[in-house]
Amino acid sequence: MTKALGTVVDITARSSAAERVRLAVEASPNGMVTIDRAGNMVTVNAAVEQPFGYRREELVGQPVEMLAPARRAADKVLAQMEGRYRGLLEAAPDAMVVVNQSGEIVLLNVQAEKQFGYRRDELLGQKVTNIIPDGFAARLIADDLRSEEDALAQQIGTGIELTARRKDGSAFPIEIMLSPMESAEGTLVTAAIRDISARKKCEVDLLQKVAELNRSNEELGQFAYIASHDLQEPLRMVASYTQLLSRRYKGKLDSDADEFIAFAVDGASRMQRLIQDLLAYSRVGTQGSDLRDISSEDALRQALINLRGAIKESGALVTHDPLPAVLADETQLTQLFQNLVGNAIKYQNPGVPKVHITAAMSGGKKWTFSVRDNGLGIDPQYFEKIFGMFQRLHKREEFAGTGIGLAICKKIVEQHGSHISIESRPGQGSTFRFALARSERTS
Amino acid sequence: MPTEVLLVEDSPGDVRLTQEAFRDANRSIHLHVVSDGVEAMAFLRREGSYGHVPRPDIILLDLNLPRMDGREVLGHLKEDDSLKTIPTVILTTSDSEADIVQCYQLQANCYLSKPVQLDAFESLVKSINDFWLTKVKLPQQPRGG
Repeated sequence: MTKALGTVVDITARSSAAERVRLAVEASPNGMVTIDRAGNMVTVNAAVEQPFGYRREELVGQPVEMLAPARRAADKVLAQMEGRYRGLLEAAPDAMVVVNQSGEIVLLNVQAEKQFGYRRDELLGQKVTNIIPDGFAARLIADDLRSEEDALAQQIGTGIELTARRKDGSAFPIEIMLSPMESAEGTLVTAAIRDISARKKCEVDLLQKVAELNRSNEELGQFAYIASHDLQEPLRMVASYTQLLSRRYKGKLDSDADEFIAFAVDGASRMQRLIQDLLAYSRVGTQGSDLRDISSEDALRQALINLRGAIKESGALVTHDPLPAVLADETQLTQLFQNLVGNAIKYQNPGVPKVHITAAMSGGKKWTFSVRDNGLGIDPQYFEKIFGMFQRLHKREEFAGTGIGLAICKKIVEQHGSHISIESRPGQGSTFRFALARSERTS
Repeated sequence: MPTEVLLVEDSPGDVRLTQEAFRDANRSIHLHVVSDGVEAMAFLRREGSYGHVPRPDIILLDLNLPRMDGREVLGHLKEDDSLKTIPTVILTTSDSEADIVQCYQLQANCYLSKPVQLDAFESLVKSINDFWLTKVKLPQQPRGG
């Protein structure tokens, strides 16, 4: 109802035309006020007096806020907000572009100039499709199915990945976040535009690395098959026929022949063991671990059943404390216990081999297992070496085996996200330690 | 009457080992050898140069064979009313679970992995002889035979 006529101010000369205007204004049923540049009222018509309850002379020379305080304050706040908003835009690390409902750029920051390679005045008033050809403007437009508000609401707060175009025509991937802003010109949309070239490149690199890793894992699996089948096949022939030779012709040729055949038989059967051990080792890696809540005591019990021949033969005394439930692959844990206890019995002084297995909670989340023996012990200088593939500290005549046992132990423990360690001194026995995650069922 | 055994095996070394092992186990066995699946089917259907061969009492079938592999042979056998009654023993180096499952799905009569050690192989052949060729009752008048 209040209207400002800013252009009437300059024609106050007493011309007849001016007088006619004054009369027309005076007669208007609408309240009319003219103000000067400072915002003070110069003329006020009759229609103003009654609704506001002022007399005309009380108003002339007074600021117009007397009549419309709230509106004026809102304009001021809006102006302040706009100032602050510009400040925020410029401070943002991302390119920011404000677009109106016609898809024209009405505001942008310096980052946007840099990112798109335009000067500010080249973009202001231009269609946003110049810099984001597809997918942006389309998202803001109302259609038969949704209103402007709905169209916009669907996009708020979610990152949208699009392709942007620089002034030089080059394209780059962006992620934009939209937020609405009410203004005198209607709803505007602020778009924060992030150049995600680096992230996209990382994603591509990561996918490539994953593909490479999968390929190399597949190759390893393939290798396991080659070792199990293709290599064993010809070797089985060598081993079988040298054994057949030895059986049928031993003592029928000369002593040299017997010796040569014996070496061939021995070499072939050792190679068979190596291949089988290699296969066992690679299986630990390629088959992955099936982690479940299991009883470590059950796993140990199974290991001791598998070892009963060796235990009986050596007269070993294998004891253990109560053992906890853990998160582990049962088959692998059984093999781990079997290898460690088997070693403890095997590398022994004369006398009764003693092995004791314990578990202690460490840090609230893990159980640390110890397998302690009274055996030969190991010189600390070999602590690293013993966990390597086919590493042996003894001659074959002293102790049989390919030297894969502890390498398999190490691999199993590492598959469980832990590491295996040893504490030992020659003649003092050895203690092997490894940690396993606590069962999730335990309270 | 001698027992007729068809061995489908492409490796001459394995053929000889099997012959040696059967010679020790049972001298009354006639061991016929073919070296791939195509020959095996020709033998069983008495085609071409196999016009006068006897019907085998049992088939020992390797899996990895040239031209037509053991799985295909097994499939053909078990779809053929006149041949499906012949016990078919898979004798292979493969111990992969996939092969084992597939062979039983194709109705192999049993699946044996060739042991690596000579002694174990010989004793396996001996058990094939003791069970399949001695204890097992086989049909005398095979359908369509």
